[in-house]
Amino acid sequence: MKALVALALTGCVIAKRDVVMPDNHETTVALLTGGLVQPMNDIARHPWFAVRKKGEVEWKVYEVPFLGVERDPFREHAPYVDPILHKVWRGADADRAAACLEREAGPWVKRLEYRFYPGPNSNTFGAMMLRACKLSASLPATAIGKDWRGLVGVGLTTERTGVELMTALAGIRIGLKEGFSIHVLGLEFGIDLWPPALIVPLGPGRIGFADR
Amino acid sequence: MRALAIVMALGSTAAADIRWDRMEDRIQGGGFLHYEVSALHAIDDDPARMPGLREADDQLLAGVRMGAVLGAGAHVGYYVALDLLAGSTLGDRGFAYDVALLPVGIATRFGATGMVAVATGIGANGAVDTIDDAAIVPIQTTVELGRGIRLLGRARFSYVLGAANRQSGAPAIPFADEFDAMLGVRLGRSYRKFGFPSGNGYFLAVSYREQLGTRFVGATIGYSLDAALPRRFIDDEKRHREDNRRRRRKR
Repeated sequence: MKALVALALTGCVIAKRDVVMPDNHETTVALLTGGLVQPMNDIARHPWFAVRKKGEVEWKVYEVPFLGVERDPFREHAPYVDPILHKVWRGADADRAAACLEREAGPWVKRLEYRFYPGPNSNTFGAMMLRACKLSASLPATAIGKDWRGLVGVGLTTERTGVELMTALAGIRIGLKEGFSIHVLGLEFGIDLWPPALIVPLGPGRIGFADR
Repeated sequence: MRALAIVMALGSTAAADIRWDRMEDRIQGGGFLHYEVSALHAIDDDPARMPGLREADDQLLAGVRMGAVLGAGAHVGYYVALDLLAGSTLGDRGFAYDVALLPVGIATRFGATGMVAVATGIGANGAVDTIDDAAIVPIQTTVELGRGIRLLGRARFSYVLGAANRQSGAPAIPFADEFDAMLGVRLGRSYRKFGFPSGNGYFLAVSYREQLGTRFVGATIGYSLDAALPRRFIDDEKRHREDNRRRRRKR
């Protein structure tokens, strides 16, 4: 009971990563998501990749529909609210990721035939870039559209430690780190093994420890 | 022939444009979405009421309910709803489900996003080994009143098709086979973004069900979201139509 109260007080997620910009002593690639405008803020999130090369001040932002430049895409990325920092890559990994995003993002966005629900949409872009650039990370359960692989799709998860079978209506994912989850009509439920959490289709997408 | 086809195509496009413009003048509506989890516990203990079946003392159902009203006026509109829930009869671990599509409905709007609606359609529910699968014809009343703090209510009378042991299974409701209801309060926030009223927040409700001759009582927790096109009353409608005409003339 005490644990439940503690979880409720911390907004369902424990040990959240601080949303702060790392220094520019080395190249950085960050994956962030933000809630859509109210009243959708708790049920749908939108991802973006922020890329800054070593020594530079501004960040290149890769997302749907724009690929742009910003000063602080960590705290100020209108109109999205409550940003969450999911993963940061630094140094050589970031150099490789930055080159891959530069190469893959533009053509993918140009080819995109956008469909808000069930996808392909901005979250499909996030998941596709993670796969294309072999970046191990997970988008939250509220990133509706991340599981869009067409009518039917099978493959490695974006964390790259599990497998998933997805259809337009429902899907299943199982992995060493990802645990087990199912999604029905874009609503995802499950158990994340590491960091441990319940996966729910609300708010930050989990109840438990923050993903990292 | 080709000329006739072109004239017909142009004519129908123009007519469709006019129809769409007229519809655009008048159409208004709103909708709601609930994510919810309900836990119900049987308060009757009479095995004779459920012959041949293990008793489903507990039911846990989670899922989505949504409804939308669409109409030409500010007060009454066509209403459609969809319920998709799945879960388990806890003690017996049987997979349970409860789904319904209610495409025939009518709603009266109250306030910016509130409504009282009645709808019917077709559904199905059951649970492995405990509640026989059956199609149902539900008649559902939905109440959504208020903005941030919002009263949420639902009452559903169901007529069961097939599943003989589920017929006349509502002890207190002689005219329906099953009954379930929920009444709760959302403690949330209301917004007006880009001129559209909306709201969201978590809610807590008491739930009640009569099924298989047994009464179940429980609780529902969930998240509710609502949004609507601004209601336009007669004066607003006239002004809105004139604005639209002016805009079209400019085009």
